[in-house]
Amino acid sequence: MQRETRIAHYVAAALSVLCLTLLSLPLSPPARSVKAAVGYALDPLAYQGEKSWRRLAGAPARVRGLIAADVENQRLRGELRRDAWLKTAVLALSLENERLRTDLGLTPPRARAPLWTHVMRRDPDHWHRSLAVDAGSDRGVSPGDAVLGPQDGKLVAVGRVVDVRPEVSTVLLLTDKGSFVAAYLSSGTLEGLVQGGDGPRLRMNYLSAEAGLVPGDLVYTSPTSAVFPPDVLIGRVSRVHPRDPFLTFQSVEIVPAADASSLQTLVVLRRGGLAGGGSPDGAEAAP
Amino acid sequence: MRILRGVAVFFGAMLLQWWWSSHLGRPGASPQFLLALTILLAARRGPVLAMLAGFGWGLYLDLARAELFGAGALTLVLAAYAASLARRQIDLRAAAPLALLTCLLSAAALLLEGALGLVFVSRFQWAGWLALLVVPILNAAVAAVLAAAWDAGGPR
Repeated sequence: MQRETRIAHYVAAALSVLCLTLLSLPLSPPARSVKAAVGYALDPLAYQGEKSWRRLAGAPARVRGLIAADVENQRLRGELRRDAWLKTAVLALSLENERLRTDLGLTPPRARAPLWTHVMRRDPDHWHRSLAVDAGSDRGVSPGDAVLGPQDGKLVAVGRVVDVRPEVSTVLLLTDKGSFVAAYLSSGTLEGLVQGGDGPRLRMNYLSAEAGLVPGDLVYTSPTSAVFPPDVLIGRVSRVHPRDPFLTFQSVEIVPAADASSLQTLVVLRRGGLAGGGSPDGAEAAP
Repeated sequence: MRILRGVAVFFGAMLLQWWWSSHLGRPGASPQFLLALTILLAARRGPVLAMLAGFGWGLYLDLARAELFGAGALTLVLAAYAASLARRQIDLRAAAPLALLTCLLSAAALLLEGALGLVFVSRFQWAGWLALLVVPILNAAVAAVLAAAWDAGGPR
């Protein structure tokens, strides 16, 4: 009994010293890799919280990247499953809308096929005017197609396609001086024409001279727009220009919703050769 | 045969802990099967085997831990040692004293891990009130069930 007790003391002391050594020693990168990989395999949920970085701290960048990629993959899979349900709901609503339009005798809206593209090139001399995307006529892009960009989880107006080559298209940005988009203000039904100015801001003209305009209003594409689908966010009113006594309308300055200089991916809404479309040069008509 | 059964219990316990934590466990309120089994081993088979098994199980728990690699192993080793000391004073063959001891040692283990955090990462690793109140009771229940299974014909 005494011998067993003595052995127990020795074993306890030895194991305690070993544990304290493990606690004191910094782990080498390979050991951290193994620990992170095994820990993730055993308990993947623990790596999905806000404090997950603590679990990966010190692990080599490749292991950290692998685990982070898998966590993101799981999250995106979840979002895809949710989107599948959303898609079903949208399809049902679309069919209902189509049926109601038919009953009311309304013209069906123009069908558009979205195409995700990457920004290939920006011209430093025309930073606010145009950019090139990696999709062209080979993928069904045609001049006059509307181009949207993701911003805060929504798609907002960016520009329109003006030049199409087999694998590349040029997008004329809303901020280009030659861009015109029919739009309306969110505070009412005031319609106007949004124009670029080769700078970071836009200008909305032809607003009623009697209307009370306030900064902060949101600006959306109008149903009368020949290029864009209706109700796509363009930007926010940042300033109301002083009323010019020689003009019969008011104008406001707009901060675009999409910062085109920072976008990496864009959506081209292909009209797919369907009948109807914008004016030949892609310019919008004044409302 | 006995060694095979011991190996099966060793890995089966880890599998059970992993499965419960990932499928049935609630954050901060999962029973610690490995701690309960370590105390049971110390009560039934003596401290040396319990400390060695606790050390292995502790390293396994430490793999899934964000910080303090070795804290789980130290906690289980000391729990086995404390249980073996208590075995000399209390009759741990009955379920009730074993459950009570498991409850006390579980609470002590949570506080010890918190204190190790204070020493090694300058931050008390507080498990939370829920864990401190619920986990010792769950562990006590697990220890009682495991002891009943052991006495009914489990590994001896």
